[in-house]
Amino acid sequence: MRPIIAIFRKEFKGFLFNPNFLLVCALMATLLSFLYPISLRSFQDQARNAMMFAHNSGGQQLNIHYGVFLKHLSYLNLMLILVVPALTMRLFAEEKKMKTFDLLLTSPITSAQIVIGKYLAALAAIFVIMLLAFLYPLSTAYFAKINWGPLVVAFLGIFLVAAVYAAMSLFCSSLTESAIVAFAMAVLFNISIWFVGVGVEVVDSSTARSVFEHISLNQHLTAMVEGTVRSSTLIFFGSAIFLFGFLSERVIESSRWR
Amino acid sequence: MIEVSQLTKKYGDHVAIDSLNFTVKKGEVVGFLGPNGAGKSTTMKIITGFMAPSSGAAQIAGYDVFENPIEVKRRIGYLPETPPVYLDMNVEEYLSYVAELKGVEKERRLQLVNRAVEKTNLGQVRRRLIHNLSKGFKQRVGIAQALVSDPEVLILDEPTVGLDPKQVAEIRDLIKELRGQHTIILSTHILPEVQATCERIIIIHRGKIVAQDSLANLSALQSGGRKVHLKVRKSAAELGAKLKGIRGIQKVVSGATPQDWELDTESDDEIVETVAREIIAGGYGLLEIGSVKADLEDIFLKLTYGDSSPNGSGQRMEVHA
Ligand SMILES: Nc1ncnc2c1ncn2[C@@H]1O[C@H](COP(=O)(O)OP(=O)(O)O)[C@@H](O)[C@H]1O
Ligand SMILES: [Mg+2]
Repeated sequence: MRPIIAIFRKEFKGFLFNPNFLLVCALMATLLSFLYPISLRSFQDQARNAMMFAHNSGGQQLNIHYGVFLKHLSYLNLMLILVVPALTMRLFAEEKKMKTFDLLLTSPITSAQIVIGKYLAALAAIFVIMLLAFLYPLSTAYFAKINWGPLVVAFLGIFLVAAVYAAMSLFCSSLTESAIVAFAMAVLFNISIWFVGVGVEVVDSSTARSVFEHISLNQHLTAMVEGTVRSSTLIFFGSAIFLFGFLSERVIESSRWR
Repeated sequence: MIEVSQLTKKYGDHVAIDSLNFTVKKGEVVGFLGPNGAGKSTTMKIITGFMAPSSGAAQIAGYDVFENPIEVKRRIGYLPETPPVYLDMNVEEYLSYVAELKGVEKERRLQLVNRAVEKTNLGQVRRRLIHNLSKGFKQRVGIAQALVSDPEVLILDEPTVGLDPKQVAEIRDLIKELRGQHTIILSTHILPEVQATCERIIIIHRGKIVAQDSLANLSALQSGGRKVHLKVRKSAAELGAKLKGIRGIQKVVSGATPQDWELDTESDDEIVETVAREIIAGGYGLLEIGSVKADLEDIFLKLTYGDSSPNGSGQRMEVHA
């Protein structure tokens, strides 16, 4: 446990005091500050229209959760596809390039401890970004009544998606000495997992459909952003993270046996 | 303390080290000497558990490096070829992190960091970013990180490579100072390094151990030999064969010109007399004769570079023994 904490602390501090991390945060904040008011305003317009024609719209729900927050989260998700690899690309690649990996591999710690320590540091950095993004809905609470439960669950959903990105990006970083290569690979991985579940739309057989449904990131995320947490969803995210964590551990371990 | 048996490492088809056997006793300072590419770094990487061998075994303090890597690594401080420093940390932070990785308890960490800083003379830069340090200082930080967990065994891979003479002298003094507190193996491709710091030498060449003995024994062994240089007026090829015939002469090499000859002989003083007499009697016209006792440098060169190409070093032709 102690080596995990040591690595976690070192890497997390490394994130926080790295000017690039602050730059990424500033950039995201700028983009979101630009986009968030736009969705807020269009929601406002819709709401006004709906009120005017209230007799027409009947039971149709106009909901800030869908109208504003989910849009906000989908922007956040798009950014995370690039930001997570940018943050995690150096975690192993740089250690290899700078030969500091020799220090880790000759310290009395296991490969799994190295991977877990670094992964948790990446999660903590992502959590900081999530907090930043959460400030936007929080500020909206000032002038609108918000249903917090679904909002927090939706944020948790995006956080879990980012946690999967982080696991894949860490794995990419373990494969190469070049941070740029790790970044490019990780972005590809992050984009392609959105297509894993595409089978849902194309197959006919009902068993195949349910299999695809289970491995479709989209299906699981949709459930979460709507505010429901299913155990199958947690298992899905957990196993994706475990898989890539395990693969990273294998890569690190195999570098001892070259 | 360190036991290595039949250690072999192949990179693909290339045999980097071949069935090495040696032991190092507790408290010894052993120099691992060999030209570049001899297999020094490879051996050290295996002993530290960084890399697995192709076959053979290594034990540190009774623990097998592969069955019990964690126990072994707890007891080792290792300076790789490139000091494994994080450029974005300051010296103190870095050493404290290494101590933590090595499993030093929190209470002892500061004390050990201070000790390592003191020993490696890093006091004036302890709050500086490693990025801004000179090469010599980075190397010292590398040594400090090997020391910081107060390990039983120190493994230093070319600790003075790339440093200026003053820094080299400082690091040699440091190693001498550490003698007795740690068991030390250091590797180098230059002989004066081991002469300055080590009690025992293991000479390795092309992945094989070609000599291992105490410094005193190796020197004594060699004081049994001498080199005779002579210059004659006539260049005559049969002189080589003639000199070969003299008892006590081990090797005859023709020198830079056909008039020059180099002889490896036994230490006997009479040999010089005998050679001179032979040449005069043969009427070759003796111009110069001189003899020097061979030193350790010669053994090292003979053991390592001597057979590196079939024709010797080009200008020298060997007359076969
Ligand atoms: N990773 C590697 N892959 C292939 N060959 C290697 C590798 N590392 C070292 N070698 C080869 O193994 C031999 C021994 O190398 P090394 O142990 O680094 O020697 P030294 O440290 O004595 O200079 C050299 O011939 C070198 O080219
Ligand atoms: Mg080397």
